[in-house]
Amino acid sequence: MLADTNDQIQDSEPQQPRQGPLHQRHVDLGAKLVDFAGWLMPIEYEGVLKEHMYVRESVGIFDVSHMGTVLISGQAASALADVAFALDVAAVASGKAAYGLCLNESGGVVDDLLIYVRSNTEIMVIPNASNADKVVSALTEVRDSNSEFADIEIADVGIEFAILAVQGPTAGRVLAEAGYPTELDYMSFIDIDDVTVARSGYTGEYGFELVVPTAQAASVWDALVEAAKSQDGGPVGLGARDTLRLEMGYPLHGHELAPDRMALTAPVGWTIGWDKPAFIGREAIVAAKEQGTDRKLVALRFTDRGIPREGMAVVNLSGEEPREVGVVTSGTFSPSLKAGIALALVDTESVANGDELAVDVRGRQLATERVTLPFVDSNPRVVPA
Amino acid sequence: MIPEDLKYTEAHEWVQLVSPGVVRFGITHFAQDSLGDIVFVSLPEEGTAVGQGDACGEVESTKSVADVYAPIAGTVTARNDVVETSPEAINDEPYGNGWLIELSVEDESALEALMDAAAYKAHTEGQ
Repeated sequence: MLADTNDQIQDSEPQQPRQGPLHQRHVDLGAKLVDFAGWLMPIEYEGVLKEHMYVRESVGIFDVSHMGTVLISGQAASALADVAFALDVAAVASGKAAYGLCLNESGGVVDDLLIYVRSNTEIMVIPNASNADKVVSALTEVRDSNSEFADIEIADVGIEFAILAVQGPTAGRVLAEAGYPTELDYMSFIDIDDVTVARSGYTGEYGFELVVPTAQAASVWDALVEAAKSQDGGPVGLGARDTLRLEMGYPLHGHELAPDRMALTAPVGWTIGWDKPAFIGREAIVAAKEQGTDRKLVALRFTDRGIPREGMAVVNLSGEEPREVGVVTSGTFSPSLKAGIALALVDTESVANGDELAVDVRGRQLATERVTLPFVDSNPRVVPA
Repeated sequence: MIPEDLKYTEAHEWVQLVSPGVVRFGITHFAQDSLGDIVFVSLPEEGTAVGQGDACGEVESTKSVADVYAPIAGTVTARNDVVETSPEAINDEPYGNGWLIELSVEDESALEALMDAAAYKAHTEGQ
């Protein structure tokens, strides 16, 4: 029965996974725990479907403390970030956060991250768990290669902070009940008593992310979970985090973005500071913009019953005979649509608009329709009535 | 969560003799709990002949897919339509409404070779 499992979240590091500051809370809640990027994290508490719908219909609380926290501080901190990251950091106002990429010289993606601009002299970056050290290296390299940046401090402070997300239509009530402000524009943040509260998230719903000093993590978590339960919500694991982000078509590093793949194969052009004179990877990505990319991401919704999984082949059924044209980078069952959904990387020249694409699910070619993202009708910018 | 009156396979299926020459089987509580929320099930057509250990269907959850193996040789006489339209029945009642397939079997004695509840409990504790 369980001989042929295909877990999407796999052990990536051989050593014992680290336990985050809320580990005991997850154990007490009966969570299933998995090794995720070297951290023992909750994949689900009550089941992916139920937790997914908490977020779409009421509210869910996530522990994403495995994600990193990096501080860039000192004169010209913003200027350093502008060289290290493709985002136009200088254009981000103080008190705003923005999604951006850290590229390598060939235009591949070292990591995708949230960049919080406190001021020109202090920037906080939230990289993915497994990429924090690479982002620190990229920043350090930029600092050490330019005397203008010599005094800037780059600190990996991930161990000092828990990161919690409160996501869903009633997230505002939960935050208010826990004593935090909710009057924030989309992608704005505020620092209160060492806690950073941002109007951001990775689910497509209205919501907030909190960066909390480790010592306060348990009390803040308890307050949020209790408030969420009174709103018919509850804690949500990484399983539903993945189905939620995929319903929005949000890219995930290691799936839609990778160091050895041109960033523009994914729809991330909007994050690039095209007018900036210099940033790492600029030459490669500008060339790719002009010439186009040989592969591109497409969004597929199954019309047949079945679930696409990462690594499955995409087959073009239009034309004289079926031919393999790409591969699924992320696939899942959409709890909202009750259908399989996938992001897939396909050869640009082998797929024309209107072509019929199938996914090979263990030898069966299941029919799909190409859709425009997001798969579901959610918008995190909209404040619920 | 391991009923005493059933037989079990190493692949986490339960088997019950429902009438002379007919067995019903499904997946265990342990199996459904490991898989998580089940969202798709595909089962063989009635009349399909299966050998012991043959893959004869699939149970798929939000996170993974698992083959269903015939616990003993036989011919499919019934398939549970309920789980095809409401796969969550397997999570909710793995030994009841969440059963999968009934087989007519020639050799009932093959059941004796399967694990009893105590042996299956020990099997799950080893995993």
